[in-house]
Amino acid sequence: MEQERLTGMNNSNNSDNNSSEDIKGSRFWRSLKELGSDSEINETKANEFMQGVTDDFDIKQLAGVSRRKFLALLSASVAFAAASCSNYKDKGEIVPYNKKPEEITPGIANYYASTCTGCSNACGILIKTREGRPIKVDGNPQHPVNMGKICAIGQASVLNLYDPNRLRKPIKISGGSPSEIPWTNVDDLMIQALTEAQNSNKQIAIITGKIVSPTESKLLNEFKAKYPNTLFYSYEFFNDDIRLNAWKKVYGSGLPPLINWDMANVILSLEGDFLGSEGHSIENIRLFSSKRDGYNKKEFNRFYSVEGAMSLTGMNADYRMRLRPDAQLEFVLNLLNEVNNRLNKPLTINGNYSLHSFAMQHGLSDKTIDLLVNDLLSNRGSAIVYAGSKLPEEVHVAVNALNEILGNAKLYNRDEQQIVFSSSSDKQQWEDLINNMKNGNVSIVIHYDTNPIYHLPKDYGYESALRKVPLSVSLTEQENETSSLCTYTLPINHALESWGDYNIRTGIYSLQQPVIYPLYTTRQKEAALMVWLAGNKAAFKDNMYHEYLMSNWEKGLFQSMNMPVDFKTFWFTSLENGVVQNTKAGREGIQQGSFSRSSVSALSSKPQSNGFILYIKHNYNLGDGKYANNGWLQELPHPVSKVVWDNYAAISPETAKELNVETNDKIEITIGNRRQEFPVFIQPGTADKVIVVEAGYGRSKAGDVGSDIGVNTNVLLTKDIQLAPFIFNNIAVQKAHGSYNLVTTQEMHSLDETRVKDMHLKRGIIRQGTVQEFKENPGFLEKEKREQPSVNKDVQYKNVKWGMGIDLNKCIGCNACVVSCDVENNIPVVGKDQVDRGRIMHWFRVDRYYSGTPEDPIVYNQPMLCQHCDTAPCENVCPVAATSHSPDGLNQMAYNRCVGTRYCSNNCPYKVRRFNFFNFRDHFADGYYQQEPIELVYNPEVTVRSRGVMEKCTFCVQRIMLAREKAIEENRPLKGSDVETACQQACPSRAIVFGDVNDPESVVSKHRVHELGYHVLAEINTRPNITYLAKLRNTLPEDKA
Amino acid sequence: MSFDYSKEIPIIEGGPKLADIDDVIARPLDTRPDRKFYIALSITLTMLAIGAVSLGLTFYYGIGMWGNNQPNGWAFDITNFVFWIGIGHAGTLISAILFLLRQKWRNGISRFAEGMTIFAVMTAGIFPLIHVGRPWLAAYLFPYPNEHGIWINFISPLIWDVFAVSTYFTVSLIFWYVGLIPDLATLRDRTAGKIKKILYSIFSLGWRHSNRHWHHYEMVYLVLAGFATPLVLSVHTIVSFDFAVSVLPGWHTTIFPPYFVAGAVFSGFAMVQNVLIFVRKIFNFEHIITINTLERMNKVIILTGSMVGYAYAMEFFTAWYSGNPAEQFVFINRAFGPYAWAYWTMVSCNVIFPQLFWFRKIRRTIPYMLIIGILVNVGMWFERFVIIVTSLSRDYLPSSWRMFYPTLTDLGILTGSFGLFFTLLLLFIKTLPVVSISEVKSVLEGAQPSHLHNGSEEVISHSSNDSGVNHA
Repeated sequence: MEQERLTGMNNSNNSDNNSSEDIKGSRFWRSLKELGSDSEINETKANEFMQGVTDDFDIKQLAGVSRRKFLALLSASVAFAAASCSNYKDKGEIVPYNKKPEEITPGIANYYASTCTGCSNACGILIKTREGRPIKVDGNPQHPVNMGKICAIGQASVLNLYDPNRLRKPIKISGGSPSEIPWTNVDDLMIQALTEAQNSNKQIAIITGKIVSPTESKLLNEFKAKYPNTLFYSYEFFNDDIRLNAWKKVYGSGLPPLINWDMANVILSLEGDFLGSEGHSIENIRLFSSKRDGYNKKEFNRFYSVEGAMSLTGMNADYRMRLRPDAQLEFVLNLLNEVNNRLNKPLTINGNYSLHSFAMQHGLSDKTIDLLVNDLLSNRGSAIVYAGSKLPEEVHVAVNALNEILGNAKLYNRDEQQIVFSSSSDKQQWEDLINNMKNGNVSIVIHYDTNPIYHLPKDYGYESALRKVPLSVSLTEQENETSSLCTYTLPINHALESWGDYNIRTGIYSLQQPVIYPLYTTRQKEAALMVWLAGNKAAFKDNMYHEYLMSNWEKGLFQSMNMPVDFKTFWFTSLENGVVQNTKAGREGIQQGSFSRSSVSALSSKPQSNGFILYIKHNYNLGDGKYANNGWLQELPHPVSKVVWDNYAAISPETAKELNVETNDKIEITIGNRRQEFPVFIQPGTADKVIVVEAGYGRSKAGDVGSDIGVNTNVLLTKDIQLAPFIFNNIAVQKAHGSYNLVTTQEMHSLDETRVKDMHLKRGIIRQGTVQEFKENPGFLEKEKREQPSVNKDVQYKNVKWGMGIDLNKCIGCNACVVSCDVENNIPVVGKDQVDRGRIMHWFRVDRYYSGTPEDPIVYNQPMLCQHCDTAPCENVCPVAATSHSPDGLNQMAYNRCVGTRYCSNNCPYKVRRFNFFNFRDHFADGYYQQEPIELVYNPEVTVRSRGVMEKCTFCVQRIMLAREKAIEENRPLKGSDVETACQQACPSRAIVFGDVNDPESVVSKHRVHELGYHVLAEINTRPNITYLAKLRNTLPEDKA
Repeated sequence: MSFDYSKEIPIIEGGPKLADIDDVIARPLDTRPDRKFYIALSITLTMLAIGAVSLGLTFYYGIGMWGNNQPNGWAFDITNFVFWIGIGHAGTLISAILFLLRQKWRNGISRFAEGMTIFAVMTAGIFPLIHVGRPWLAAYLFPYPNEHGIWINFISPLIWDVFAVSTYFTVSLIFWYVGLIPDLATLRDRTAGKIKKILYSIFSLGWRHSNRHWHHYEMVYLVLAGFATPLVLSVHTIVSFDFAVSVLPGWHTTIFPPYFVAGAVFSGFAMVQNVLIFVRKIFNFEHIITINTLERMNKVIILTGSMVGYAYAMEFFTAWYSGNPAEQFVFINRAFGPYAWAYWTMVSCNVIFPQLFWFRKIRRTIPYMLIIGILVNVGMWFERFVIIVTSLSRDYLPSSWRMFYPTLTDLGILTGSFGLFFTLLLLFIKTLPVVSISEVKSVLEGAQPSHLHNGSEEVISHSSNDSGVNHA
């Protein structure tokens, strides 16, 4: 048997030998015996194994597969299996730092102070970077104005850095087709063109936004010095020019003052949105809400709002009255007259006014008006009247007068003043420019990060004029309506890649520093100008504006501050802090002009119209349209209506009846020859016959996300302003054909449906009372508390147990927390269709409830997130134990374990769990948010959830773990105050507190025992760890909702 | 009309001979499928294919293909699951409980009802697996030692479901198979085809109709019937725990277990009644599955329908009596809210229409009972829909309320579930005896030794081996 097997082997051995002999021509031998061809030796050689070694198995019984073959197959299949089953999570190599940058430790975030350039408020920001990539933007706590907080837009702006639609290289458009062109060519062409324009005495027009940077302003002036034919045109789409002009009229000079909202006991806001979109809203919110603190019942302000549009600010009012924007003048004159009369006429007012007949005519409550007048009079010097920035100038003049005679000027901030380096171009300037463009007198137009085709009123004819300009340039981050008509589109750095300085207040200088090297072949817009200014393309250096900025600071601010340190120390300290306060300089510049009585006597009421009014408002999410391509912001619910991904015509229920329309019908608005169709949204609280639309939507070229989202309001604008730029009376409105689908994150329930009405109050979801009630009987809510005993033994939490407190008095519903959570926790954008299906992924939402009548609703806001219940209903029902409770009181989610039964979500009474119905990153806009380089924005500490997985708020467990690590490192116990959640960090009103509930000294424990503290749905014994402080309204008890 | 109450109504009409019974019941198995069968099969297979495509889309893209959302985490998926589990209730009830209660009229229909149970539970069993977001990890629902060191959560009613349904399925399958053994032996002895012979031989486990076999068989059947009886009650009880154990108003109700069991029997009987009407017509079983039998089923339907109606009323009473506003709202919302149409469909189909069975004429007229049976099934599907969706869509926080709208995929999967059920049923009809030959024989007139008044002395042996021999 053995012999048989080995024969074959023998043969092959022989043939091997032979062949090797043939080839080599020589014979190799191992011993003399072998050389002598001893047959015994040869046989032994052939029998590799000794007799009997292989006796144990029979080759035939092995079914033809030899051991070798089997092993070969085995290893091959293992190799194939290993090769084919590459880990799907493996997204490529991890390359360690070859040469590690000094300041970067993998896994540890670095923070850099900088300045937000989202709007002209220039808030100080702190940018969190991980391994060199910025992943989160928060307020800089050292900044004296925004004090560590920024708005929703600022929070979300980090997404724009990684927007796949960003321009990557300069583009030249010739003959309608775009082609890439190197910067150096652009420089050559521009320098040549600029010189030519100068030589041939043609105008060079630069269209800028509002300039708030001193160094940039200096650079622009230098540019003009080099090319004297340069003319600057400046605009800010929503601006404070009306207020500014009114101030000048009344006080002769200066700028409208900042207001110390925290000193106001009574606030009257006329169509004002100081908490939402006007002025420095972050500062305003902080100051305003400091007087709406559940811990400080004595110091509640009383807030009256008289407005036609339901604004974020108005929904926080104690008393809100509806009034058409064009009746505001009449109202304020009546009020002024009334107050003037009651104060023994310090002013002479022309005309006959009767506040009561006005109130009657416009359906304002007499009682409230009386209360208002009395409040204003009894709080002289600690009340403020504020007019919205879109109201006509006369209203502002009258408001200034009202504040003057009430002595409210005490609330004006005399220490600080706003600073602007540019003034808006007026109608005449624009017309001149456009005429010159048409005449061929303008040879170059440079759009300095502006988009006038979208923003300017169409009747200027800017678009056709621009086509006549031989050379037009757009310096922009992304393609826009204007850049698509320009010869050159030059990509500029994102704010996080840029240098800059800002001076928006007296003595407050903030620095902007890049936190990442430009991702693409982009330049700072200042650097582009500098090269053209230098007249030499070789002048370009990466850091040229950086150096310019430094030298400007060295020569300017550093000198004036007269610091006892050298400039380098000063510079780096300033960079580290992000902000410099020059307490010495500038103060003397603040001057208060003297009140001009004549400006008031010149006021007269205008003939009243009672037709329809169109009121174009600032939107809360997209700025002036700049952020249209930001999915996080598009998907951020409107603070009042909760509509996402759209703007709409908000009308009152009464007006809807009159126009015979419902929500989602369309109306057409015609002003002269300008017309636009809008979907209708019946917004409770809107004044009758007022149509409110928000601008910033309807961009035709905003990128893959933002293009053609919503309706463009700007086509309705006109250069010939009659009432005010954004308020139009005597418009024609009619029902249009077709319907539209507006999507909200909260279902709309009819307010007059009795079964549903006031359910949030009946169920104790919102607990509320009046300030007076609370003062008289602090425990007035006790009777409503329904904490239940449990049959189970309570789990004892030793050490730290996490809890949160939310003060409903402070929360104004601004959404900053929502976006902060989105960014921190890698929340995907799902798109309008999915929100419509109820699949928005926000872990943190702000619930809005109405009570009262559809005409005059009372609004409640309630931030809602996972309550981390001690006896969490979700945990019991998960079949695979994917959600469980941690020893420090967190309701945890193990994504890996989750199979997605959705049972937990069904059983969650707060409905805060979110399910990945799709792989949303792939599902949204054909995988838009899966393209490069968007993944760089993800927080590496938070898992990116796959489809089929349930998720929810974790109380920012990654931050807790980081704090715990630190505590262990420092060998000390973890404290509640070591952790700040993302929502808490963002909250401008500081309504959210977080910490250890086992620590009796912590703020959150105080919340839990506060008289106003309550748990939502306590009666089902879920034992939530979020304590809300009941909402107090500073109304008279009989006016309680 | 006058009845002779002293005489029991014969269960099998026309007094057929034993051999005739064999012939009649085995005929569908002996003949090749006809055109009508293929038409029926093509319809059910098309439905099945629609379901398969819908399911494929779901697997590829995710649960988002369905209408489910926040807050409606469950909708059609679990509605279908509970519906099919309910359908699966009649079989075991008929074969086990009615067997223990010595209800002989069940003998003609028990096999079929059991078959339907198996297929309905199979159909139902798909849904817990496909409704999860990551079906490829559905094995996590089973307790097995794993490298994660994680055990399943025994507190979760979904886990109880897994056990309850799989136990029920296993026991029903064994019960069904044990009942089939004597018939398979008879078929083995009858058939001439080689493959059939081998298959019947294997599955009849060497049955020779011997007295000893019968002795063991009866014992096993009795034990299994005793074993299956509590399961009939437990399965739907446990399915109802999915809802009753939660904190959701409209779900958190102690009445659910009996209410669900009654509802399940109700819908199961309606489904069995519906299908039997066709089967007895097509295969000429009218004398075996008699109008009397159908009438008895209709009586069960009216009983369970009334129980369900009582439960509906009690739910309202409990909600009112509890003084819990959330609970009260849910029920008022069911009846008058946005899903009122579904609620009133449910009430009319489940409570009002079955009451027509009080009329003897309606109870005994095929078209009427067919229509009412269909309505009961529609109503019972809507009952689960109403319980699941109305409760979820408007629960505690009004801010999170949202309507559920089904998608085409949802409807496709629902269609597919019917496709699967009826495909299996059609295949069953052509491969196995849909009426128990041996059990029918046992209730033939004169099959049992008895003291009949007509003085018939003839005693026919219980066993049916003679028939087997005849055809050998």
